[in-house]
Amino acid sequence: MAAPGSFWRTLTAPLLRENPVTLQILGICSALAVTTSLATALTMAASLTVVLTLAAGLISLIRRHIPDTIRLILQIVIIASLVIVIDQILQAYFFEISRALSVFVGLITTNCLVLGRTETFARHNPPVPSMVDAFGNGLGYSLVLIFIGCVREVFGKGELMGRQVLPLAEQGGWFTPLSLMLLAPSGFFLLGGLVWALRTLMPEQAEAPDFAPPEHREAAE
Amino acid sequence: MIRGLWDREMVALLLLAALMPMALVWIWFGGAGAVGRLGLALIVSGAWHLIFMLARAQPPSFAGAITALAVAMLAPEDMGLVRIVLGISFGAVFGELVFGGWGRNVLNPATVTLAFLGFGFPTFAWPDFVLPVAWAAIPAAGLGVLFGVMPFGILAGAALVGGGTALLAGGPDWVVPAAAMVLVLLVADPVASASTALGRWLNGALYAALVLLFASGWEGASPVQLCVAAALLASLAAPLLDDIAIALWTLQRRRRHGGS
Repeated sequence: MAAPGSFWRTLTAPLLRENPVTLQILGICSALAVTTSLATALTMAASLTVVLTLAAGLISLIRRHIPDTIRLILQIVIIASLVIVIDQILQAYFFEISRALSVFVGLITTNCLVLGRTETFARHNPPVPSMVDAFGNGLGYSLVLIFIGCVREVFGKGELMGRQVLPLAEQGGWFTPLSLMLLAPSGFFLLGGLVWALRTLMPEQAEAPDFAPPEHREAAE
Repeated sequence: MIRGLWDREMVALLLLAALMPMALVWIWFGGAGAVGRLGLALIVSGAWHLIFMLARAQPPSFAGAITALAVAMLAPEDMGLVRIVLGISFGAVFGELVFGGWGRNVLNPATVTLAFLGFGFPTFAWPDFVLPVAWAAIPAAGLGVLFGVMPFGILAGAALVGGGTALLAGGPDWVVPAAAMVLVLLVADPVASASTALGRWLNGALYAALVLLFASGWEGASPVQLCVAAALLASLAAPLLDDIAIALWTLQRRRRHGGS
């Protein structure tokens, strides 16, 4: 068994240093689609974290028995079963939010983040470290979703969790909603800005440039 | 061409000079309100160029003034200080400066700003123009082509499609003034438009075709709004048009000279 310190590192590394969304740009389709309000972002983040953690645990348990040739099918079957369970629970207890999320809970099955973690980590590690790693990655994904969801809901509607936080101009306040925030492009802009900010703060995350600039720089003075 | 006369700032200054007829007529008819809008746009755009010079050592460019002029002329009216500043900041930073400054941008920053303002705050009215401002687009385009800073193919392609449709089917004439101004201010931009000869003709033709399409099918859109949307789509398609032009050229060479 690994030392407790290494568990802590496995858990916290995906939060900022190796965040799956901002560093590896994984799972952004759902990150863009469900972040128009904080409530849907939170639900989606919780669902994905639960699915990812359980799937990593299950796959890690049977990792010595998975034939290499059909490993992807097997992993997807496990993940899909868990997703169906989560989807049914959401429909039973949070019907409104489940309707707002529409297909995106079902699409956790094909989320590259889930398959990426089970394929690269859970298949080669014992259950407990796998689940810690999966939980950490789920938290990293949640962090990004919650941030973008907050920004989009506050600036797009002046609300947070459905409660008014900025007084609207049409009700005598000063705030006019920025309706662009509720459209899909703003998700791209915010995520792009977030990646930019993180890579400025932590330059070791930045990718190597594709082209080297020429040696003699005299243009555009 | 680094040591000669033609560096980036020369192009920017000549482009600015070419736009002067239109800008001056617009200020003449717009009065103090126009001067105020232009001043605000210049300050915000200049401030971002300054910030990027200090933070990333990017040389500032007079192209910022071109962006400011286009935004001041075309942006929706009475938006209030905060929204205009937000829009210009977004356009200047995400449209131009993050890519490394003018000359490396993919889209015209003014187009990005106007699209952002139009989609972000759809309730504000787009500006109307008196006809002399639109007529001044013709000398502006002429000067630009004469100086060699505005691509002739784009202007000609747009004129060909627009004029041809007008002759054959009597197209929507209420959109022509705005379409001409947007063509000169946003589409005929030497950086973000197509850069092969055929690509430029296609780019201009595509812009005119999109304007005609929107004018006939977009209910309730003002002329400037639909022209800005057409400019955005046309400049998004510019790399594709260049690619088509290059592919055709390669195909032609292969047929002529053989080889695989």
